[in-house]
Amino acid sequence: MRFTGFTRFSRFAATVGATAMALTTAGASLSSDVRRQPDDPPTFSSDIAPILFSRCSVCHHDGGAAPFSVLTYASVRQHTTLIAELTLKRVMPPWKAEPGYGEFVGLEPLTRDQIDLIQRWVSAGSPEGDPRALPDAPQWNADWQLGTPDLIVTLPQPYTVPAEGGDRFRIFVFPLRVDGTKYVRGIEFHPGNRGVVHHATIRVDNTPTSRLLDEDDPAPGYEGLLAHSAGYPDGHFLGWTPGQVPPLLPKGLAWHLTRGADLVVQLHLVPTGKAEPVQPSVGLYFSNDPPERTPAMIRLSRQNLDIPAGERAYHVTDSYVLPVDVDVQAVQPHAHYRGREIKGVATLPDGTTKWLIYIKDWDFRWQHVYRLVKPMPLPRGTKVEMQYTYDNSSGNPRNTQPLQRVLWGQRSSDEMGDLWIQVLTANERDLAALNNDFRPKMLAEDIVGTELLIRAEPARVALHDDVALLYLAMNQPERAVDHFDASAKLKPESAVTHFNLATALTVAASTGRDVQMSGGRLDQAIGEYQKALQIRPDYASAHNNLGSVLLQRGNPSQAIVHLMEAVRIDPRSAEARYNLGRAYRAQGNRAAAIDSFRETVRLMPNNAPALNDLASLLATAPEDALRNGLEAKRLAQLAVRLSGGQDPAALDTLAAACAEAGEFDAAVEYAQLALQHAPPGRAATLIAERLDLYKQRKAYRSP
Amino acid sequence: MLCLLVFAFAGSAGAGRLSAAPSTLRLRDLDNALVDPFQALPSTKATVFVFASVSCPISNRYAPEVRRLHDAFSSNGVTFWLVYPNPAESAADIRAHLKAFGYPVRALRDPAHDLAKITKVSVTPEAAVYDARRSLVYHGRIDDRYVSVGVERPAPTRRDLQDVLTSVLAGTPVSSATQPAVGCFIADFVQ
Repeated sequence: MRFTGFTRFSRFAATVGATAMALTTAGASLSSDVRRQPDDPPTFSSDIAPILFSRCSVCHHDGGAAPFSVLTYASVRQHTTLIAELTLKRVMPPWKAEPGYGEFVGLEPLTRDQIDLIQRWVSAGSPEGDPRALPDAPQWNADWQLGTPDLIVTLPQPYTVPAEGGDRFRIFVFPLRVDGTKYVRGIEFHPGNRGVVHHATIRVDNTPTSRLLDEDDPAPGYEGLLAHSAGYPDGHFLGWTPGQVPPLLPKGLAWHLTRGADLVVQLHLVPTGKAEPVQPSVGLYFSNDPPERTPAMIRLSRQNLDIPAGERAYHVTDSYVLPVDVDVQAVQPHAHYRGREIKGVATLPDGTTKWLIYIKDWDFRWQHVYRLVKPMPLPRGTKVEMQYTYDNSSGNPRNTQPLQRVLWGQRSSDEMGDLWIQVLTANERDLAALNNDFRPKMLAEDIVGTELLIRAEPARVALHDDVALLYLAMNQPERAVDHFDASAKLKPESAVTHFNLATALTVAASTGRDVQMSGGRLDQAIGEYQKALQIRPDYASAHNNLGSVLLQRGNPSQAIVHLMEAVRIDPRSAEARYNLGRAYRAQGNRAAAIDSFRETVRLMPNNAPALNDLASLLATAPEDALRNGLEAKRLAQLAVRLSGGQDPAALDTLAAACAEAGEFDAAVEYAQLALQHAPPGRAATLIAERLDLYKQRKAYRSP
Repeated sequence: MLCLLVFAFAGSAGAGRLSAAPSTLRLRDLDNALVDPFQALPSTKATVFVFASVSCPISNRYAPEVRRLHDAFSSNGVTFWLVYPNPAESAADIRAHLKAFGYPVRALRDPAHDLAKITKVSVTPEAAVYDARRSLVYHGRIDDRYVSVGVERPAPTRRDLQDVLTSVLAGTPVSSATQPAVGCFIADFVQ
């Protein structure tokens, strides 16, 4: 291993709930008093049960995810023909990765010998054999396999899957309501009704986007698209397929769960013939330790898919050259019914190639995360590539709809092509370099796909919202304004659409070069925020943002009205407190400003701008009663540290605080440092003037 | 050898004579009474046996379709029977099953698979159709939703059973060749 200090982090726990159990494997428990001749046909007790117990019973037990139990002869006997057929065709167990192209945790296929044994057994009439030779059956229960969760969330109301119809994909939003930041080591999904839930895709949305989509649909959950804001947290895969319980993460690899975040769960539901209520639960496991390492998620993807009807082999590739060294931890391919062959290949700078994944016969129904038994090191300059082939002809047995042209889209009748690759980097710097390098590629591809969907359905608000957020992330706020404007026109009765448009206008104003035009944008934004508040007077974020914009437009007293309202509605909003502090300061009410900044820092102790502003007032306020040099110094030190030690404004404040505390030598030193990092201009001139004061052993007072 | 028996049909208010059955087979219903599965009124234009089992998911998923066909055809002279070939499923299990899935259809038990053999049915769910002359005109899948176990269409593109019944009622030849059904193998249902 080339990375020092990396070994601790280089492996995710290589156990899953399913395989962590002590299972008796083939032949191991054959009782000594059972005598068998070598030519005797295989029997259930001696030969078949060990295979079924260890490889199939994780799902096939009473109350399990699969239809029947393999734990008793009586039950197995009723399905022998099916067992022989499906194991021979490798339909079961449903592990799709080609043997010999990488080793994955818990997903080993049956061996040739095991398959032959089952064939011979069924041909011989499926004899039971001597029950005394039967290995101990594994115990499965409905409890949490990872232990008692720290937080259990259950869908508040059950959703009823209708008796009939095709497979359904429905998205449910679970509000988590955590108080502050939590570190999550793992989650365990319980489908609630195993017969109907085929698999679950799980994401985290730190924005209210998914929740609002859910609220728009009167029944629990909503049908439609996962919002782009619903992502894999801190580069960790989440999800559930029968038989796969994702392991708890090792110490130092937890992910952040912040206040206001929702769990977004997309269920693949299969009607059973009668109406079925489904009410899933998710257990979360927290860690006391903040993460020391964060993985990165690379998503190879094509969203310009356009597959002609009848096309037998439609090839799609996407690739990415790694800007840093990484260790591949896991991969997850994604395609729908037309996907046939899935290849993930890494080409190293020296030309050697390694398989990331190879699936010859892709099956949309089995969306596994393939966790590598041993992480795969890939050096900087390695090209990771996906090579997917789609079959949109009648020769594809899973292409079960009438032949038609197929475009990209999230619905199962559309087609997709993604290869998610989870990697660990050597250090935080490499992680940042990788994320910065990769992010524009992903956003650009997402824009391609979403614009394509908008062309097909120009009146869908959710699509306009989605692409607008992507444009904002790509630093193209004007395009975001266009799409949020479309949303607001399509759904003028929604407060959120006006809020979104106003916020994009504000961002556009801050990046626009033309001052007059920026002012116009801000005035438009004020109008849109006001519309949002007419519809929803208790919209705390709208009050906050409107206050902030009014402050920018030089109207602190109007700003204070809205910011106080924001604080009243959401007393825990640090942002509104901070803006309120700024507004009071702009009004010249320094005492009130200090109170607001103090409250901000209490709510968010590591907020560098608030620490800096508070320290600055405590160091330089003209009113003697307001100043406190020592406290200012302590706060400014923290602000300097949090902002990386080179931020001129934070250093300037620290210098002023030292001077107020009577430590003029330190003040001179910090002011000189601030000057070093300040770009030439007015700010630098002011720092230089203050430096002269400190040299004369005088503190600085703000005017 | 066929034994030609003539029954009086209890519930028919003496309306008609029951025609010849193609077998001597008698199956038990859920009250343990012996029933000639082929007994029929003169007005009966077709008899349908739908083989089902309590714990076979594919069989269960067809319940709404069977219900729909029953509702569409039973008033037009088509007699429906659900046939349970799994000896492990008791009359009480079957009663609970009929209730849970809302089957409006009478059930027979075929634990020795006698009727399955006569009708050439091999999986649940699978249908066999006899016309008014007591000839087996179709046995096979209900529709083509399932391509194989684990591969299914979002909706069927051919509704074989419905087409057969439509032909029989119209008196036109049944065009549908026997289509293999996908599901749980009846031969495995042994005790």
